[in-house]
Amino acid sequence: MKSASTLFVVALLTVTAVAAEPATDGESFYRDQVLPLLRKRCLECHSHAGDIEGGLTLDSRSGWEQGGDTGPALVPGKPNESLLVKAVRYADPDLQMPPDGKLPAAEIAVLERWVAGGAAAPADGPVGTRTKQAIDIAAGKSHWAFRPVATTEPPVVRDVSWPRDDLDRFLLARLEKDGLRPAADAERHAWLRRVSFDLTGLPPTSAEIAAYMADGSADGDATVVDRLLASRGFGERWARHWLDLTGYADQMGTSNNVFSEHAWRYRDYLIASFNTDKPYDRFVIEQIAGDLLPESDPERRAANRVATGFLVLGDVEIVSVDKMKLDWDTADQQITKVGTAFLGMTLGCVRCHDHKFDPIGLEDYYGLAGIFLSTKSVHKIPIGVWSKVNEIELPETDRQAAARLVAEQKHRERIADLTAQRQRLQTRQKEIAEQLKSSPAGASPAAQAPDANLSPEKTAPPAEPVANSLRAELQKEQERVQAEIGRLNGIITHAEFFAPKAPRTHGVLEAEKPIDARIAIRGNPRATGPVAHRGVLRVASWSQPPPMPADQSGRLQLAQWIADPHNPLTARVAVNRIWQKLFGAGIVRSTDYLGIRGDAPTHPELLDRLAADFVRDGWSQKRLIRRLVLSHAYRMGTAHDAEAAAKDPDNTLLWRMNRRRLDAEAIRDGILLVSGRLIESVGGPSLPLEYPENTGGLTGNVNPPSFALRKFRIEQEFERTVYLPIIRSGPQPGPALLREVFDFPQPATFASARSQTVVPTQSLFLLNDRFLRNRAADTARLTLAAVADRDPRLELLWLRVLNRPITPAESATAAGFLDRLTPLLSDSKQPEQDAWTELCHGLLSTNEFLHQL
Amino acid sequence: MWDIPPIPRRQWLRGAGCGFGALALHDLARAASDPTAARLPGVTTPRARRVIFLFMAGGPSQPDLFDPKDAVRKAHGTTISPPVDPTLEKVGTDKFLALAPVAPILPRGQSGALISDLMPHLSGIADDICLLRGMHADNNQHAPATLQFHTGSVAEARPSMGAWIGYGLGTENETLPGFVTVHPDSDVRTYGSAFLPAKFQGTKLSATGGPPIDNLADPTGRPAVQRARIDFVQEFNRKLLAEAQADAVMQGMIESMELAYKMQTTAPAFVDLAQESKATLDLYGVGGKDTDRNARACLLARRLSEAGVRFVQVTMGGWDHHGNIRGALPNSCRQTDQPVAALVKDLKQRGLLDDTLVVWSGEFGRTPWSQDLSGSSPIDKHGREHQPESFCSWMAGGGIKPGITHGETDDLGYRAVAGRVHVHDLHATILHQLGIDHTKLTWRHAGRDFRLTDVYGRVVREILT
Repeated sequence: MKSASTLFVVALLTVTAVAAEPATDGESFYRDQVLPLLRKRCLECHSHAGDIEGGLTLDSRSGWEQGGDTGPALVPGKPNESLLVKAVRYADPDLQMPPDGKLPAAEIAVLERWVAGGAAAPADGPVGTRTKQAIDIAAGKSHWAFRPVATTEPPVVRDVSWPRDDLDRFLLARLEKDGLRPAADAERHAWLRRVSFDLTGLPPTSAEIAAYMADGSADGDATVVDRLLASRGFGERWARHWLDLTGYADQMGTSNNVFSEHAWRYRDYLIASFNTDKPYDRFVIEQIAGDLLPESDPERRAANRVATGFLVLGDVEIVSVDKMKLDWDTADQQITKVGTAFLGMTLGCVRCHDHKFDPIGLEDYYGLAGIFLSTKSVHKIPIGVWSKVNEIELPETDRQAAARLVAEQKHRERIADLTAQRQRLQTRQKEIAEQLKSSPAGASPAAQAPDANLSPEKTAPPAEPVANSLRAELQKEQERVQAEIGRLNGIITHAEFFAPKAPRTHGVLEAEKPIDARIAIRGNPRATGPVAHRGVLRVASWSQPPPMPADQSGRLQLAQWIADPHNPLTARVAVNRIWQKLFGAGIVRSTDYLGIRGDAPTHPELLDRLAADFVRDGWSQKRLIRRLVLSHAYRMGTAHDAEAAAKDPDNTLLWRMNRRRLDAEAIRDGILLVSGRLIESVGGPSLPLEYPENTGGLTGNVNPPSFALRKFRIEQEFERTVYLPIIRSGPQPGPALLREVFDFPQPATFASARSQTVVPTQSLFLLNDRFLRNRAADTARLTLAAVADRDPRLELLWLRVLNRPITPAESATAAGFLDRLTPLLSDSKQPEQDAWTELCHGLLSTNEFLHQL
Repeated sequence: MWDIPPIPRRQWLRGAGCGFGALALHDLARAASDPTAARLPGVTTPRARRVIFLFMAGGPSQPDLFDPKDAVRKAHGTTISPPVDPTLEKVGTDKFLALAPVAPILPRGQSGALISDLMPHLSGIADDICLLRGMHADNNQHAPATLQFHTGSVAEARPSMGAWIGYGLGTENETLPGFVTVHPDSDVRTYGSAFLPAKFQGTKLSATGGPPIDNLADPTGRPAVQRARIDFVQEFNRKLLAEAQADAVMQGMIESMELAYKMQTTAPAFVDLAQESKATLDLYGVGGKDTDRNARACLLARRLSEAGVRFVQVTMGGWDHHGNIRGALPNSCRQTDQPVAALVKDLKQRGLLDDTLVVWSGEFGRTPWSQDLSGSSPIDKHGREHQPESFCSWMAGGGIKPGITHGETDDLGYRAVAGRVHVHDLHATILHQLGIDHTKLTWRHAGRDFRLTDVYGRVVREILT
């Protein structure tokens, strides 16, 4: 404050000092001095004739009065408060104009004097008037996504026999309107494979296929769907979909491989949430404000805390030296993530300016920012410049506490044992040193060389050849003992670091005192403007926004507002995403963005109807999914139809089912299942930090402890992909390498739809990768062991890999292939196994295996 | 199966319809329907046709290499008072001890560009480069700063520079990838395409003599068996495609498998430097104790560039000298100086430098004052902390004025005060030299138009010929 007023006085003095100059308050000063200067220096980028950079024009009075993205360009009479003057003074490195170099002092003085004198200028001339485009919230509410969800009755259809569910009527009516017909049903085998992959990420087993084929009853489909929804695989599949929206990794930030030791708890929380069909509104609230929910049961209280991992498990820049900026950047990431995941809105750009397209203003953004700045996500640690994402101790159940006591006891015993081992070695080390001191040095110069460090005076007795060999042995042992002590030191440090303790999680905490944020100029927390009270998005509000508490961040209020049945975005976003996962494209194709520039829904009434029913059904995701996959639409085949393709080439009206390639997880997990190698997992830590060689810097004081994935647990080769470690600083490691090849998203992004690419690295994988090769060999072994003759083997194999019966033509082709291999494998030790491995390898790399048809 | 004729390699590569082109990570599913290879608005006559970006990972020390300051040299070992925001975290730098350069930094060539004795080869080509001494960036940590240098953004996942350029210009030669990265940084985003189509992502190559790409070799070593298997698979794939009638992904996967099959032989042949003359190998330092790795990488960069790859990136690490910079910096220079200078010389003698833009830079620079992580080492064992407020880069060829120094820093060499060039400005300038207006090269994603330069960037016209 003091320095600001001092500056102001200085400025006044400057003005006084130049009082002898021509008057600066008249239009003539503007015309003669200011305008030429603006023309020369500014208008190329800030005028209607040139560009309008940063939204600012300086060719007319209204231009600087309205200002650009960062507010009015000047305050008449107050040069020190005027952005224009600040910018040309070049004092603030983030606000320097013109960008290619500071103006001469005389020119800066002209602008200072002009502003100090009141910034006189003629009214706007012919260049055009700049009017501030204020965000019009009321008008903005007319966009479909901000309107209340409507419940329309399903339309009348001509073919009344086709629909199985109301949703079919919406689709069919639209197709009929364009004179289109839905595709014929998929084969029963194809449907079973499709629904198995969609619901669990795994293909059906031979037994499951047989059971479904044998079940001719009317509710055979429902039996399958209920079985799949009840399997653990359901949560494993759908949790991974959700993780795509969170930037999840087992690594904190990107720098230095810092492990996110407890991230897996959030993944396991998601799997459990999907498997118990946690109502979606509750699911939303827990992830934003689980820590603020009253809950007496320790297990549920722990789960609520773990849920807030949603807010902190993205790419947080914990190594930032600017801790204020780190807090703001973290809040920004949380706002962006909440906007994308729950609301289908892009909010990140509003950090710097009102949204260019959607009716979301700085006031909305900084209203949310206040909530997240009143929340603690990271804290400085006493290691170098580093911060860490919170590690919060979780409440324990009595059973967990008892188990921990046992583990702690074991740990103490282990440490005692290791220390004793080390003690013995150290004792031995001393003995050896003594012996070496007292035993003679060798006679030959060659033998003497290594003993240079022993003082010759003390080696009194004359050299003997026997003593020489003894010395050599002792020295060897000394080296061994030394190495063993080093190894033990490492093990002890590691064991102490990872000593059993109460469970922890990454999550958020409340700040000591909630604050309302100040709107930051261009997102810079050190250049702030007016206060924005904590709040929610005005355009998506259906009544008065929820009042923000004085003693809490407001996260709970935000979460409840998002999860409110009246919120126009929440249910639409959720339903549309689930639709996309099952049909290959959303009803709104831009699944993460329902704003004005997003895609319009292809079936708006259907979307609303599903959203309304979703809320009515208690926000049950399983019920919604069950409904969708039992619809007739989901049963359609993928066959081409020239007429339909001509009218609707992108299949936006869903005249057939979309063919979809399996994603990375489904490919790897599917191969594991087919080859009989898949092992069940109950979750737990992804990073194998229990191996000392996988950790580093456990005692560092400049950089935090880090991981180096040199060794994986044996079972990780065979576990579902969702349980494998995810890192941000490089390609996905070890058994997870396949993710890298097949479009796994960079774990810093928040996006529900994955890109699908076709690149030769994928084909190289299919040709030569060892994982695929080994699993093909496993599949061959299983097939050869199951039955004796070629034809039944082929039948079995087709059912196992492609999940359908083999055709006679395929049987002949496969037999021909095996015959062709016989001479080529004549030098093989196990020609039959090798030939069948080739066949299995081939089948596992066909497009049919890699697609859902 | 590919016999490589000695010359002219350029024609060979162009003519080899399915040769090295198999390396191009074309998104084959999109290639047919995606018009992005066409020229976009804002693309004008280029000054450069291709870029070689030599990325010095870790942050080369400009106070020791290019930007000496008397005030610092005279105050060596004593406390100076820099204009640093006191709220920022410091480790081992709180004493602000001035640290004199490791070795003399003297004027070189006609231009008199200041270059350290540690870089004799670069000193020899001083008149071919444009030294930028007013570089600045936004973040002082490796990961975000590296990301910003490659993608313009310090976080998230945005398309990398090479991907944007491929999208803007397409490839010069359909049989080649548009963007190759040799020994890249560990963060895959540095050569990723993010939301741009995958065909624009960088192709990762190793130049160290082993397989240049993952999964390139058949582990069974039975080529006839492999081919029989591929035929079997493709028969099924073609039948399925015929039933589907139209499916870009399946079609692409069929083609891709044939490309991959051929790559197994063509890719190793391309990175095999045996075709190069002894004089060339010696120029780069191939086989040299310190230089071999980077020499191979730089020579490969020339081969790729010569063959029409738009954007070649070579990453050379080891510049992160927090401690004992006097002992360690000379090593980093020895490993890079000869290969890097050889690349410029080689391009020049082949007439390629005129339309090839070479850029040399780290992600940031280092402080004029010392860093001592132990808190008790003598000044001669100190290093320097990261510094994005100013650092030095250089450019050569591609329509950039040779033999000039642009930009200067304050008396300490802390903040750039004139000729300031932000990373965004460098990006804008690189695109400009390729004939692309950086404000017009955009991609609509999640409702917004994205650019390499976000909402920033200014072409540094002062350094253009």
